[in-house]
Amino acid sequence: MNWFRVVASRLRGLFSKHRLDGDLDAELRAHLEMLTEENKRRGMSLQEARYAARREFGGLEQTKESYRDQRSLPFLETFLQDLRYGGRTLKKNPGFTAVAILTLAAGIGATSAVFSVVDRILFRSLPYPHEARLVSLGFKAPLDSMEFMLGADYLEWRAQQTAFEAMTTMRPGVSDCDLTQQNPARLTCSEVESTFLTTFEIPPFLGRNFTREEDRPNAPPVALLSYALWRSRFAGDPSIVGKTIPLDGTPTTVVGVLPRTFEMPTLARVDLLSPQALDEGAQQRPNTGAVLRGFARLKPGVSPAQAAIALQPAFEQSLNFVPPAFRKEVSLVVRSLQDRQIHDSRLAAWIFLGSVLAVLLVACTNVANLLLARATTRQRELAVRTALGASRGRLIRQSLTESLLLGLLGGAAGCCVAYGLLRWFVSLAPSEIPRLQQASLDSRALLLALAVSLLSGLLFGIAPALRRPAPELLAGKEIRSTSRSIFRELLVAGQIAASLVLLASAGLLLRSLWNLQSVSLGMETDKVVTGKISLGNYHYPDAAKQLAFFERLETALKRLPGVSSLALSDSLPPSGGMRSTIYARIEVAGRPMPAEGTGGMVGWRAVTPNYFSALRIPILRGRGFHDEDRAPNENPIILNETLAQRLFPNEEALGKSLKFSMIGPWRTVVGIAENVRNNGLTEAADPEFYIPWKADVAGDFQTAHVIVRTAMNPEATAAWMRLETAAIDPALPIEIQTMRQRVDKLTQRPKFNALLLSLFAATGMLLAAIGLYGVVSYLVVQHTQEIGIRMALGAKPSNILRMILLHFFRWTIAGALLGLLGSWFAARLLESLLFEVRVHDPWPLAFAVGLLFVVAFFAAWIPARRAMRVDPIVALRSE
Amino acid sequence: MPPSKAEVLQGTLDLIVLKTLEALGPLHGYGIAQRIQQVSEDLLKLNQGTLYPALLRLEQRGWISSKWGVSDNNRKAKFYSLTRAGRKQLLAETETWERTTALMTRLLRGAEGA
Repeated sequence: MNWFRVVASRLRGLFSKHRLDGDLDAELRAHLEMLTEENKRRGMSLQEARYAARREFGGLEQTKESYRDQRSLPFLETFLQDLRYGGRTLKKNPGFTAVAILTLAAGIGATSAVFSVVDRILFRSLPYPHEARLVSLGFKAPLDSMEFMLGADYLEWRAQQTAFEAMTTMRPGVSDCDLTQQNPARLTCSEVESTFLTTFEIPPFLGRNFTREEDRPNAPPVALLSYALWRSRFAGDPSIVGKTIPLDGTPTTVVGVLPRTFEMPTLARVDLLSPQALDEGAQQRPNTGAVLRGFARLKPGVSPAQAAIALQPAFEQSLNFVPPAFRKEVSLVVRSLQDRQIHDSRLAAWIFLGSVLAVLLVACTNVANLLLARATTRQRELAVRTALGASRGRLIRQSLTESLLLGLLGGAAGCCVAYGLLRWFVSLAPSEIPRLQQASLDSRALLLALAVSLLSGLLFGIAPALRRPAPELLAGKEIRSTSRSIFRELLVAGQIAASLVLLASAGLLLRSLWNLQSVSLGMETDKVVTGKISLGNYHYPDAAKQLAFFERLETALKRLPGVSSLALSDSLPPSGGMRSTIYARIEVAGRPMPAEGTGGMVGWRAVTPNYFSALRIPILRGRGFHDEDRAPNENPIILNETLAQRLFPNEEALGKSLKFSMIGPWRTVVGIAENVRNNGLTEAADPEFYIPWKADVAGDFQTAHVIVRTAMNPEATAAWMRLETAAIDPALPIEIQTMRQRVDKLTQRPKFNALLLSLFAATGMLLAAIGLYGVVSYLVVQHTQEIGIRMALGAKPSNILRMILLHFFRWTIAGALLGLLGSWFAARLLESLLFEVRVHDPWPLAFAVGLLFVVAFFAAWIPARRAMRVDPIVALRSE
Repeated sequence: MPPSKAEVLQGTLDLIVLKTLEALGPLHGYGIAQRIQQVSEDLLKLNQGTLYPALLRLEQRGWISSKWGVSDNNRKAKFYSLTRAGRKQLLAETETWERTTALMTRLLRGAEGA
């Protein structure tokens, strides 16, 4: 390959330049000397001979130049030269270089890390083919926060619908199931319809999907394993399909393995899928049948809104079977699957994206500002280079190379920052933000951020090179361009505005977090350890067996040292998840049922007598439960204050009789308990009541929380609790948390939000301060002479200081005003994330403005002080 | 009036250098320049300096090779010699050149005859 040889030889030329230059010199010198001798032989004098030789030879330097161009790659050579020069310049100003690189690193790092996270939440598509056509649908009603369907409705809708290619259902939630082998394991299982995988267009990794026959009641049990379970429990056995495994004691045939990337539409983690085996015959009116989660695949070109319209007639038909009193509160929901998954993370994600873009903006402005400042001080250098013959193009190339070098260094540092930040986010992130755990550094985000900062660097880096330097600069005269310095001050004002918005937003979130953490729960959470136990169906098939287990456990745990109070309950405050009933279905003796409305939901718990003392929940009136209340024919009930107020607004609740869910005995109100937060921290307590923990028609004792108030340290107590549980049933897992940890979990997300935004605000403010500092120092250097003259004419140093500070406070105030406006809009966006904070709460804003002014003052004061120390003699002489 | 010197035709310098080296064997830059002027009987205006980038170009293409040596008058000089690839190239280029000149001659004659 000829061109290859040429390029190789040219590259050689590039790297052994010195030796080759020497060779060329020697060769040309020899040539000239031979010519000179020849001329002398022809009778010329030495002088004449030399001149003639030069003439015949032609331009020596031109020859060398074109020889060199021929020898190496001129483009590359200039580039390397520029690069070396740029490197030297950067090394010469370590302060400038460090600030520029750190600024870029902060901007690029934060942006890429946040974008990588936000991208997973907002933009990344779900792992199903044609995922945009997948929807979740059902009734929206106070019963459930997510849409649901009833068996009868599903069958009717499926028969009538026209908008969907396919519809499918699954049973809500996940359940525990036990792999009852020699080495038993607790699995998380979910039940789905046979059309589930086909609707999502997910083929099994191994084996096959469920058949319709397998999805009928009393069909021989079959299961699909998750990839993770198949690998961990069955060592990736390739012949697993067709084998039987004992599931809750029943031999179950494995028909397939799910793909590794499979994800439930509810985002629940499951080990195993089995058919839901819906008994279609039992789903006939007037029975409502099973509660199901519905999903569907839209026909191409149909939007969820259109599908909702198409479903409307079927929905109205179903509505006829809803008790007339409740109809108003039931609506139809058809929404994209993506929407169902991320609905409450979306706002936070957009806010992060917005704030990180603000940080990037501040960072870019800083880089631009730094480069502009430096360009002005380098005008003389450019003038000298122009005078020595450098072309405009050459100067621009030089500037570009330098900006590029800076950008690349900043980009490399930014990658490190991004990587570290992302690791930190993931370790910190609350588990309920979907997909965050899988976030990885997004190369597109990194490239984008790098491109933006490079672009700003380039733009402002070459701006000065584009102008022809004025020849006066050679004489050492400074030419001040006022337009550019105003531009720089505008940039600083913009930075201040952006930082103020970030600071004010962070202030609001922090204040909200503070309120949240000091919210009164209605109980004492210190020194309480809780353990959650969930009994398997196989070993504990009925309430009698379950109660027997918990009774043994209660007796055993009571003996533990340091336990002052021990209770059992089927659910725990303050998170939701308690059992509930419709308010309108609570029947009070001697009072008609309400005619209209559901009245919302009322939560309830079955608790042992010590529940109130273990959590220190005050009984306001009446009494708590006694051990005698656990006798079979005692039916006391305790209401929380809200429920008592609501049911008996103007009468004494104690002693009244009531019944709920139209089942069970009449229960007598024996006490009124203080409200305890029972629906998260931000909501006021929902109405709630308590019944004794004992065999009861309403009771279900599969899952229980053990509540231990102890003087001992929680780790020791936890170890004992595990030991005692294992002594009764060694295969039973117990999930131990202190009450404090349970409550902290609820503040995890607001904490994450506040922390992230505070981080951005701090970065933004720091960068803005650096920007301001840079501009002021530059101005002081530029105006040294003016300051000298003023001082020579009698100005005091303090006058000078005031002059400079006043000048900058004008710009800071302008920026702050703009920032206030921005904060006002930002606060409205944040509104739904705030807890007990007024949107336009003046305190966080005042704090932000105050902080900003203090920082801005110091950023301007430190360099301005230098102006005070200007020696007039030196200043005047510098001309 | 003496005939004005012709500029070296674009692209012909390579051929001239190769031919010179074929005729005289290894030669230094000065020698090549002298030879060209001698043969062209000073009709060719050659800036001797332009020879060097051309020599480098030929060397980069592998048609000639260079070696430091000592000249007749005991001077250190770089000697260029034709390589095998250079010989082949010379043959090919000579042929092309002859074809071109023959064609041009025919065309010009034909134009006169018409």
